Amino acid sequence: MEILDFFLRTREAQRALVEARARLYRVAYAWCRNPALAEDLVQETLTKALKKSAQLRDPKARDAWLFTILANCYRDYFRRLRDMDDIDDVEISHDSTPESESSRAEVVGMVRAAIARLSNGQRQVVTLVDLEGFSYGEVAQILDVPIGTVMSRLCRARNTMKTLLLPEFQKNPAMVRDIRRIK
Amino acid sequence: MNEEKHFSDEFLNAFVDDQLAAEEKGRVYLEIGRDETLNRRVCELRKLRDLVQLAYRNPPAPPVRQRAGARARRFNLRFGIAASLLLVLGALIGAQFELLLTTHAPVTVGAAPLTMSPHPADRSAYRIPSNKVLIHIARDDTLQLGEALDEVESLLRYYRDSRQNARVEVVINGKGLELVRVDTSAFADRIQQLQREFDNLTFAACQNTIDRLKREQGILVRLLPGVVVIDSGMAELMRRQNQGWSYIQV
Repeated sequence: MEILDFFLRTREAQRALVEARARLYRVAYAWCRNPALAEDLVQETLTKALKKSAQLRDPKARDAWLFTILANCYRDYFRRLRDMDDIDDVEISHDSTPESESSRAEVVGMVRAAIARLSNGQRQVVTLVDLEGFSYGEVAQILDVPIGTVMSRLCRARNTMKTLLLPEFQKNPAMVRDIRRIK
Repeated sequence: MNEEKHFSDEFLNAFVDDQLAAEEKGRVYLEIGRDETLNRRVCELRKLRDLVQLAYRNPPAPPVRQRAGARARRFNLRFGIAASLLLVLGALIGAQFELLLTTHAPVTVGAAPLTMSPHPADRSAYRIPSNKVLIHIARDDTLQLGEALDEVESLLRYYRDSRQNARVEVVINGKGLELVRVDTSAFADRIQQLQREFDNLTFAACQNTIDRLKREQGILVRLLPGVVVIDSGMAELMRRQNQGWSYIQV
């Protein structure tokens, strides 16, 4: 029976990995803004996770475990790409700025552009908290940084976004009405 | 002094993200009711969180990729079996026909005379008797492509008429890929006719170029029947030349 339980647990873990794919992709895309790269990162994450799925003892910790692997893959990607740069200093290029996005139909583009202007560390924290709802403790574990760093990065990220985005919405109140309607 | 000054930005972020203990949350709720500025700060943070969720509710779909890995594995298995059989068969036939392979002539392709065969006196070279020619196409000039196919055909006919074993591989990358794309090729019929006539002719398209077209221009490449895909055109050129193939660039 123990063998059967082991296989059932493994099957269950593998099914959960497949289900997590869309969420991993969403966060990976938020980090790198490149669908092809995001897909590669997710593939790499799932491949590593499937290989190690038997090692996951606590299924409740699966999400944090998966996103830890994703964060490591992302870090490794930048290490391979630019050995000399600190990834926290790397800004993802974006062909538009929040200031240039004025149409209310481009709220999504404005927010993504604002997130792209954050430092890498801030972007990772804000997306893990806002998109995935991880606790600060879980984010600290995923990114392997102290919890105080998570809080300060999140605070700086939101202050920057507030500076970039809220004046635009105040200039165009229709945008906010539109967002409320969408919600 | 406003009550809201008691709360740092970090503390309010933790409140919005539900990271505070019940007692601390209660304290904030109490102050929010009294202080309009504090209320506005909390609203702004919640609005930002909502905006981030909205921005990534529907991320762009990941690019569709051909399952090159799976296809390559299947191909490799079949290729491995076929290659093993051919190796055994080749060794047997080679032993029988070794003496017959004694006359070879220089071959001219276009304006460049190329000596494809070793000296007839070097008998040991004929244990692997094939003349192996690599033709590289990386341009999409219609006139040049037509001439290149003419040369390929002439070469193959020459080998066939002179009863020489030969293999010709046309490696296509870059802009040359238009030659073997279903939607752009001006020579689809000609290529199929050549493939039917010469079973020692291979058209090989570069996977990197296919991926790049998809990535940069959104083009989903469909290749003509019988065109094989190789991982990288440049890598294939290097590999083949290291294996002793003659290289001709169109």
